[in-house]
Amino acid sequence: MRNAITIARKELSIYFTTSWAYLVFTGMLLVSSFFFVAMLESFKQVQQMARAMSWARLPPDWAMYKNLTDGVIVPLWGVVMIITLFVAPFLSMRLFAEEKRHKTFELLMTSPVRPMEIVLGKYLGGLAAISATLGLTIVFPAVLSIFGRSESGSALEWSTVLLGYAGLLLWGAACMAVGMFISSLTESQALAAFLTFAVLLPWMLLKGLAQNAEEPLRSIVNYISFDAQLQNMTKGVLDLKSIVFFGSVILFSVLLTQRAVEAQRWA
Amino acid sequence: MAMIEVKNLTKRYRDRVAIDGLNFSVNEGEILGFLGPNGAGKTTTMRILTGFLPASEGTAKIAGFDVFEQPMEVKRRLGYLPETPPLYPEMTVRGYLEFVARLKGVPGHKLDEEVDRVSGQTGVKLVLHRVIKNLSKGYRQRVGVAQALLNNPPVLILDEPTEGLDPTQRAEIRSLIRGLAGNHTVILSTHILHEVQMTCEKVLIINQGKIVAFDEIKKLTSASGQTEQVSLEEIFIKLTAA
Repeated sequence: MRNAITIARKELSIYFTTSWAYLVFTGMLLVSSFFFVAMLESFKQVQQMARAMSWARLPPDWAMYKNLTDGVIVPLWGVVMIITLFVAPFLSMRLFAEEKRHKTFELLMTSPVRPMEIVLGKYLGGLAAISATLGLTIVFPAVLSIFGRSESGSALEWSTVLLGYAGLLLWGAACMAVGMFISSLTESQALAAFLTFAVLLPWMLLKGLAQNAEEPLRSIVNYISFDAQLQNMTKGVLDLKSIVFFGSVILFSVLLTQRAVEAQRWA
Repeated sequence: MAMIEVKNLTKRYRDRVAIDGLNFSVNEGEILGFLGPNGAGKTTTMRILTGFLPASEGTAKIAGFDVFEQPMEVKRRLGYLPETPPLYPEMTVRGYLEFVARLKGVPGHKLDEEVDRVSGQTGVKLVLHRVIKNLSKGYRQRVGVAQALLNNPPVLILDEPTEGLDPTQRAEIRSLIRGLAGNHTVILSTHILHEVQMTCEKVLIINQGKIVAFDEIKKLTSASGQTEQVSLEEIFIKLTAA
């Protein structure tokens, strides 16, 4: 475990000494701020309309705009989830591909370190990077809780907000695990990023495909779709099934990476 | 006592045979010069010895441990400089050496001492604070050598350690390697025959994956029955011309 932490620390120091992490942070903050402002704006408009006409005369879908949590934060988490899909491959692509390109993979493999420790170290480093990226978005609910007002005490329902956020972290962790596995298969970072994206995007959109499928295929596809798994969590419903699902995706990816790392020797 | 023992070592890449039934051993404290033309199988042999590649057949033992059966025991006793120095361009020299020292199991309170020791030996003390990607080729190569010396491993496997160095630096690394004899067992691969003559007592020459000579340099150069001395270069060319 000591070795895994050594490797994780090295990963983090490289993320933060190069401009990569900062670029990803900036991208995440810029895009999510844009959506945050847009969502606040539509929230304000609906609220004004409701004040003029009363909620009963507005479409029933708009009921979510009754409070800041459902009206702003829940849809915002949905957007951050999609941004994560775009930024996670940029963070995960270098994990193994870069080691192989710089020939430092040979150093790791000839040091007294087990392949599993290398994989865990890399994954922990990547996990810290994605958590830092997602951590920035906590600023939005914080702003709302400081400046927001509601008729019933606190401006936000923190349990819903944080559960949604935990869902996001799970999603980010799964993206990094899948990205790490793909990075362990190639020497090219660009290819690793592209393949990761090409795997994650359809996986996320599987739910749409499921609509037209027949049972039992439909339930299966629905179950393995990222989107369907995340739906409850982002709405603030604790769903053990999703935790098990994402936990399995992560575990499976880590094990596959370990196999891939060991298999390099047999190539 | 044989520190490195290689028996019938063979490596095939699909149908191409990279090395074919190598047998040799290196005694404790010896420096073995490992020669051969490009593509003869030197790097493959070294990669097998370090546990980076598995052999197709045969066994290799380091300090009595089989490289395939007990890779962790072997790796703990081994310092390895691959063909391309394995450096992280974004790290500083000190950060890099500390990272490798940690991986090799140097305890936290000894890190500074150990980094200072190897950087003094390889002459990289003045660049410890610099970022590796800004270093000259010679310095990078020396950082690669420094990395192999961390935790003072009893066995060193150096794949062209003087590559890219100027004559002065080359002489420094040579004398460093000569100084390792006795306490360390070293396999040194190089293209520069003159260098082998100056650093090693024994030489192993391979060609197309097979051993063509494995003897003391003195015996090789004083051809039997003849009074005139031949140079290692002539022997090399004669043996590898096929």
